[in-house]
Amino acid sequence: MKPDVTAEALRYLGAADAPEPLRRQTEEEMEALRSQLRPRYIYRVWDLERRPCGVHLAGTDLTLEGETAARMLESCDRAALLACTLGTRFDQLLTAAQARSMARAVILDACGSALVEQGCDEAEEALSAYFPGRYLTDRFSPGYGDLSLELQRGLCAALDSQRRLGLHVTESLLLNPVKSVTAVIGISDRPQMARIRGCAYCQMRDRCVLRRGGKHCGS
Amino acid sequence: MGADLFQDRILLLDGAMGTVLQQRGLPPGGVPELLNLTDPALLASVYREYAEAGSQVVYANTFGANARKLAPTGRTVSEVVAAAVQTAREAVAGRALVALDVGPLGELLEPMGRLTFEEAYELFREMMAAGAAAGADLIAIETMTDLYEARAALLAAKEHTDLPVLVTMSFEEGGRTFTGCTAAAMARTLEGLGADAIGVNCSLGPDQLAPLLREICENTRLPVAAKPNAGLPDPVDGHYSMGPEAFAAALAPCLELGVTIFGGCCGTSPAYIRRLKAALEGARPAQRRYRGGGFVCTPSVSVNLEGVRVIGERVNPTGKKRFQQALLEDDLDYVLDVAAAQEEAGADILDVNVGCPGVDEAALLPRVVKKLQSAVSLPLQLDSSNPAALEAALRVYNGKAAVNSVNGEPAVLGRILPVVKKYGAAVVGLTMDQEGIPRTAERRVEIARRILEAALACGIPKEDVWIDCLALTVSAQQSQAAETLKAVRTVRRELGLYTVLGVSNISFGLPNRPLVTENFLIQALAAGLTMPILNPNQREMMDAVAAFRVLSGEDAQCRDYVARFSGAPAAGASSAGTLTLEEAVARGLRADAARLAREALETEDGLALVERRLIPALDAVGDGYERGTVFLPQLLGAAQAAQAVFETVREALAARGGGTVKKGKLILATVRGDIHDIGKNIVRTLLENYGYQVIDLGRDVPPETVARTAAEQNVGLVGLSALMTTTLPAMEETVRCLRALDVPPAVFVGGAVVTPEYAAKIGADGYAKDARASVEIARRVLG
Repeated sequence: MKPDVTAEALRYLGAADAPEPLRRQTEEEMEALRSQLRPRYIYRVWDLERRPCGVHLAGTDLTLEGETAARMLESCDRAALLACTLGTRFDQLLTAAQARSMARAVILDACGSALVEQGCDEAEEALSAYFPGRYLTDRFSPGYGDLSLELQRGLCAALDSQRRLGLHVTESLLLNPVKSVTAVIGISDRPQMARIRGCAYCQMRDRCVLRRGGKHCGS
Repeated sequence: MGADLFQDRILLLDGAMGTVLQQRGLPPGGVPELLNLTDPALLASVYREYAEAGSQVVYANTFGANARKLAPTGRTVSEVVAAAVQTAREAVAGRALVALDVGPLGELLEPMGRLTFEEAYELFREMMAAGAAAGADLIAIETMTDLYEARAALLAAKEHTDLPVLVTMSFEEGGRTFTGCTAAAMARTLEGLGADAIGVNCSLGPDQLAPLLREICENTRLPVAAKPNAGLPDPVDGHYSMGPEAFAAALAPCLELGVTIFGGCCGTSPAYIRRLKAALEGARPAQRRYRGGGFVCTPSVSVNLEGVRVIGERVNPTGKKRFQQALLEDDLDYVLDVAAAQEEAGADILDVNVGCPGVDEAALLPRVVKKLQSAVSLPLQLDSSNPAALEAALRVYNGKAAVNSVNGEPAVLGRILPVVKKYGAAVVGLTMDQEGIPRTAERRVEIARRILEAALACGIPKEDVWIDCLALTVSAQQSQAAETLKAVRTVRRELGLYTVLGVSNISFGLPNRPLVTENFLIQALAAGLTMPILNPNQREMMDAVAAFRVLSGEDAQCRDYVARFSGAPAAGASSAGTLTLEEAVARGLRADAARLAREALETEDGLALVERRLIPALDAVGDGYERGTVFLPQLLGAAQAAQAVFETVREALAARGGGTVKKGKLILATVRGDIHDIGKNIVRTLLENYGYQVIDLGRDVPPETVARTAAEQNVGLVGLSALMTTTLPAMEETVRCLRALDVPPAVFVGGAVVTPEYAAKIGADGYAKDARASVEIARRVLG
């Protein structure tokens, strides 16, 4: 069971055991945010081909190189690419909040991080409904393990994310708008054993400064 | 040919190019515009098939033929565009016209992205000039999701070609583009800027377009186009869901809404166009219903002028020492804060005036407009009499703005109205001329009439002419209040124009000013004032407007009024009395902290207040943060309360005409390539509230800029932030540039991926694990 989205936001703030006023403020901020925007996502499924240099997505020019992709997609014959974003509206709200109150802005920022992750969860559920009886791997993203951040460009091009989602990749491989996630999800006939040791499983979860900034580490 | 290409006829465009090429075996990705040079025969076959299917316009394969996207290919814009247009022209052999197709540049524009409006304009200008030189018959700007980018493209087309321009944008089901632009804002803005036809393309299927097209048709007098996708793509195989028959059957009824230009986008092919042609056989343009009425907007907020609309007056340095100081110090964050506060207080439109001695208005006004639009959603009224400043600001303003002001003097009208017309703005006309302000209502109405006539002659529609009958100080010219009200009544009733009036001046020099101002406001509203200019932070003024909206019936079922006053805390219930300044800071109570500071300043010296009470209070909160008993939002809340104290002290010092509470100077920047700056802003907030003077260079800052500023401003400390491994090299380079200065400043670094080891490795003097740590570093280096 996934924790609720406000609790997630408080974790990103490094304030899982926040006093009541801060908890309430975060809840209100989250509610206001959700009344203004919702996460939007796109995904698409490709057949996988094993190639010497990595796992290739048939029909694209995308090959996932390295240990992470090989391990995560070991038993998979297909994989979905997923992109999710809160859009530029969030950037504008965050800029406005920063102009008026940094205290509010950091709460809003954490709410945005939690909300975009929730969007990914929704996308995953939709994908899962497409493939009844099959199993999905944990989702993993460019920058996780040894999966190159360079992949960000090809992944977004394959999804046509600029046109279909308004999601861009900058020259330094950042996603723009800021609250955006891209991910790979493998599809298999049997439950996937390899897990992403992502934030959800991490012991540092509540103290991690990366998470406070809405980021992930590589492990 | 010109704009009548689109008028009074049904026009059939083509269908997709990209997805058709993919069906013919071209892999996705890459630069499809290169085909213009490498495989023109393939493209020619598609153009030919569209023309044979009935397309009266085909789009040349130039969607992404801009210098930015072509850069990696080594090909120039002009050769790619020339080849595309020539191939298309030969393929259709006179059966169809050829459009230069202009898509988005592929990078987000400011304020979200790195590309400036001016850079975007330049990229589009090159394409437009190439298209015109290559002999394109028209320009089709399409698939835009950012109104700002669409504006840049349209301006470039209008300023560098005489070709008719069709602009279509891509919307989501909720009726907005990805960047939040509404159909109404798009329609009003692009019509104002001179588009010849507008509409929608891509993103949705024809069955989802009706509400969107209806909104566009109601908000423009221009011909409207629909060029949708063939339904939605299947997430597994990528195929679009609608066949030609279903597509044509769903799209043809849009005719009834007023659409006259039809075509297809992703997933469509010549077969779809053939079906569409059959479905539209014998069709005639439907009757259109333009909603009309006054309107100003930003992409996300539309303000129609049916009812009372409050114009906030606070962004104005006149008579405000602190505001003037902010302008002279280029402290645009202060200006933004003033604007955002008015938005929160319920203003509908914000007046923006930056005219004061020592300020280059033509340079500053556009910068302030950009700054405000990065965070404030309300439409702006650009307040200046300097035509160069107005033109520069209107050019970069995103949406439909208002201009304040012209008057009845012919020379002024001649200078400013053409600028207003070019950018599609509304304009405020003051009822005065070269002979001053007439003393009678009749003479003022006469000037209003003259202004209206001049505007109409210039092509500015009546609904965009707002009249200000001028309120004079009642204590000096008592009879004039009645004349002003009389003029407002006549202008509204007889000329049928919207009316603007700055009401605050009326009470100047009198005791209990708000009472007189409010009374005048209510009388003016009753006389027909539609847009009072006032201070929305004064609650009694906004209360009066709320009550007026109830009585006039504008506030249906008194909903807004009830919402405004239900649940409001009873006055005087605050924690005043026992609260100390230190507690107010610790608990983040801004207003209380400011009030207590004002009280303290009656007996204490400003600098002593900061050093002996404020800083220790902040330190106590910071210690709690270190121990984990205070969380980041609370730490920042305390910093903001401290800022309110600082502001109070600063105002007191400015009023006395001197002195500063600023400690040492430092630079903060997020390094080149990095667009995440919330961490840096947290650090800034904290440092400023310890009294340091922070030069914030923003995000994505080139190393040379940091070094140059450090040398010019002679700063002792520079803080750099980076959030991604990909931008760490830029941090290293910045440190290197700073080290190479004659007098190198101390450098500290921080950010999610930065470690103490890395900081040492790149030669930084300090590593800040969080904002609090940066305060310690600043103390060590700057004292």
